[in-house]
Parts: sequence; C-alpha cells; structure tokens
Amino acid sequence: MLKWYKEPAKNSDVVISSRIRLARNLRKYPFSIKLSDEQAVLMVNEVKESAKTIEQQTERKYNSSNVNTLAEIDKTAMVERHIISPLLTAKEQSTGLILSEDEKISIMINEEDHLRIQSVTGGMNIYEAFRMANKVDDITSGIFEYAFHEKYGYLTSCPTNVGTGLRASYMVFLPALTAAGRVGKLIEELGKYGIALRGTYGEATKSVGSLYSYDEVEDKVHRSYGILRYARQLTSGDAMTLLAQLKLGLDLELIKPKQEFNVHELMMDIQPGNLQCHQDKNIGSIQRDKIRADYIREKLPEII
Amino acid sequence: MLCDKCKKNEAKVYYTEIVNGEKSEQHLCEECATELTSFQMGASILNPETSLGSLLSTILGNYHGNPAQEKERTGKELHCDKCGMTYSEFLRVGRFGCDHCYDSFDKVLEQSIRNIQGSDAHTGKKPKDFESKTDKIIKEMPEIDKLSIRLQDAIEKEEFEEAARLRDQIRKLRKEEINNA
Repeated sequence: MLKWYKEPAKNSDVVISSRIRLARNLRKYPFSIKLSDEQAVLMVNEVKESAKTIEQQTERKYNSSNVNTLAEIDKTAMVERHIISPLLTAKEQSTGLILSEDEKISIMINEEDHLRIQSVTGGMNIYEAFRMANKVDDITSGIFEYAFHEKYGYLTSCPTNVGTGLRASYMVFLPALTAAGRVGKLIEELGKYGIALRGTYGEATKSVGSLYSYDEVEDKVHRSYGILRYARQLTSGDAMTLLAQLKLGLDLELIKPKQEFNVHELMMDIQPGNLQCHQDKNIGSIQRDKIRADYIREKLPEII
Repeated sequence: MLCDKCKKNEAKVYYTEIVNGEKSEQHLCEECATELTSFQMGASILNPETSLGSLLSTILGNYHGNPAQEKERTGKELHCDKCGMTYSEFLRVGRFGCDHCYDSFDKVLEQSIRNIQGSDAHTGKKPKDFESKTDKIIKEMPEIDKLSIRLQDAIEKEEFEEAARLRDQIRKLRKEEINNA
C-alpha cells in the first residue's frame, strides 16, 4: 500500500495532506499529569496489545513499539515525518506507538491523552482521514472503557479538547500569500472561525518573499533549481527554502521534471533525523550538509 | 467596531457571556482585553495550542476569584476526591488529573466550557456500549411509560403515523391492565 505522500490526490499542489486526530482516555487510569511511572508502563502495554485486534478488523498491518526506549535519532526522524509529536518524544515515562505499515494511521500512547489516534491522507481528503480514524476508534472503544461523560462527551486532559476530542487539519502550501505578506492577516481572519494556522517545517516558504512579476518568479525558481543541482553543501533550512521555490515552479508548470519526482518526500528525507537514519549513523553537521547536497543531487530530476 | 471600554481602539476580542439565559456581549480592543483577562495578545496568538490553555486559565481565574482567598474564606479548597487535584493546581497547569475532575469542578467549569466549546453538552459520537443515565432509567421503566415517552417523541417530531400506532398500543396495554386487575 502506498504511503500518503506517494498516492495521487486531489488538490495536492496546495493541500499537501489532511489529518484527523482523536483524543481518548481510559477510565481506569488517571490522566497524563497524575499518571505514575508504574501506571504508565501498565497502560502503554495494555494499549499496545490492542494492535492485534485492530489489525484483525482493518485491512492494514500494524506494528507496535515503545517510544521512550528508541534512540533519539529515530525519534527525531519520526517527528520530522509527522508520525509522532515532539511532546511524546520529550516524555521520560513509558510511551508507545501503534503504527500502520503505510504510516497512514498511528496511535500515540501516553501523550497528553492516553490515546491519540491519528490518520493522514495525501491531498485534500479529510473525509477519508476521518473514516480511517473513526474506524480505529470504534475498534478500540470495544476493547477499552473510555473516559466518557454523559454531558461533556469524551473527556480529555485539556478542556479545549473535551467533547469529540477531534481535531481536523490540512497541511497547506501558500507561497503567494506568504510572499504578499498576507499570512498574518489570514491567521486573524481564520481565528474568527475557530481555525488556527501555523507554520510547519519552520518558515520554509518565507524567502520566496517579495516577488512581484511573473519574470521574477520564473527567474527565482530556476535559480533555486540551479543551486539544488550544483551545491556541494546545503543546510536543512536552505534546502527547504529552495525546495519550496522548486515546488512553486512545478505547481505553476514553470519547470517540468523529466523523471518522476516527489518534492514532499524529498523535503522529509533531508531533515536532519531522517538523513542520518538513511546513512545509518550519527554525523556532524558539516558532514551532514555535504551528504544532504549529495542526496538532493541524486534525487533531483532533470527539467525541461 | 470600536472597543466598548475605551472607545478608542479597534475591537479585536469578542466576548460573549450567557448567564441564566441572559446574553451580554463585549467587544474589546487588545489593550482592554489584556487588562481584563491578563491575557497577552501578540506572540501567543502564533501558538494557538498554548494560548488557548492560558486564555482559559486566566478567564477561569477571573471568573471565580482567587482560589487562595476562597480557601481562607471556607477553610478548604475545591478539589477532586479521586486524584487529589486542587482547583488552583488545575488553573496553573490547565490540565485535568482524571475523568472525575470534570464532575468535581463541574460547578465552576460549566460556564467556561460553554465559552471555549460554544456548547456545554456533547451531542456527537458515543463509545460502544455506553449507556447514559437517561437510557438506564428508561430501560427500567414499565412498558407503558416507555411507550408514552416514545409517543411524546413522535409527536414532537411530527411523525403522526408512528404516534397513532403507539397510542393504540398504549390503549391496548391499559385495557389489559384493567382486565387483569
């Protein structure tokens, strides 16, 4: 089965991915901040066990693991791929993860809530993401007794999540709004509708900045391609900026790749953690910048 | 729109309060809102996750007074029997300690949950096998009472055919009861 960033999807130039998160807690354990270390171990093991049942009842294969015992580098790589949250990696208590083989469904165990069920699809397809998460939730609710309140609904650590425990999000690529300096205004406007907008991967698209004419954009896109093609050292920040510009060029069809090329996959692969996992060793930052440039040169398609 | 309080700056914070069905609205500028809620606009708005939590605890704090004063006045502080979390601890960390906290702090929370969530009652999905208190009460009722509730429901939904059917069923049961007696 294809990973989410490899499947063809609707509006995937602007909407990179759609995500659903469900926050759930088990009735028999205290919530995160009152959970003892011993209880955390018990709870994580108990939830990890449910992976088998979930596998039997869905069309996917799942793996479960402890997160707190993983190497730092593997944790970082998973955060960069949006599989787990920084909060989960920062915890010293026992933490766990159930992950589907195609990385579309994950359950973080002992994050801010006992279970954080997450699903992701490529492009704009929030309904499919919801269907997947809801199905897993149906299965787990048959295994565990959830903390559920007659009046308030699903109970969560933080009162902002109580009720459905659901959060829906799109990851969007907005180079033109960023360039026009309109993102601040957009954040304000969206806030009125209960929608929050924030940056991922830092401010990668920022320096597409202040381009006004088509010619300027075309020039900038080709310059970026040139640097990516010939540079011998690239920091992750530089590489992200250049790849964002390249993506803009591809979306606007200013440049066309001769070979198949997945810019989003490359963006994840060149993050520090993932790059080192590819190399199977820890490497210093200068060495890493060289390896990153090599890696990009290898993956970068020829253009028409 | 100008701020209701200072009448000088553009209002950016819309604050609606509903007490016993009476609705009052306030439109405040950032400065006045900061003064009233000690909520810092600006930097925190870029990080909705933390700002929501801090906004919540400042609103809660202002609503229900200082928990320490409350303690002095009543001799004990509001707390949760199950996990031991006190109300002031909750205000500080912005997180509940266990499922029972929602009941323990229910009185002071209800209004605030309505403010954050736009509603104080969940109407969506329920876990498998979840039986609410109302469901349970209905389940233990005599058959006639159950049918009467369904009859009311059908009338409210204007499902008159169903209502007529239920009415006949109730009549039949009543008759049987009388005969048996």
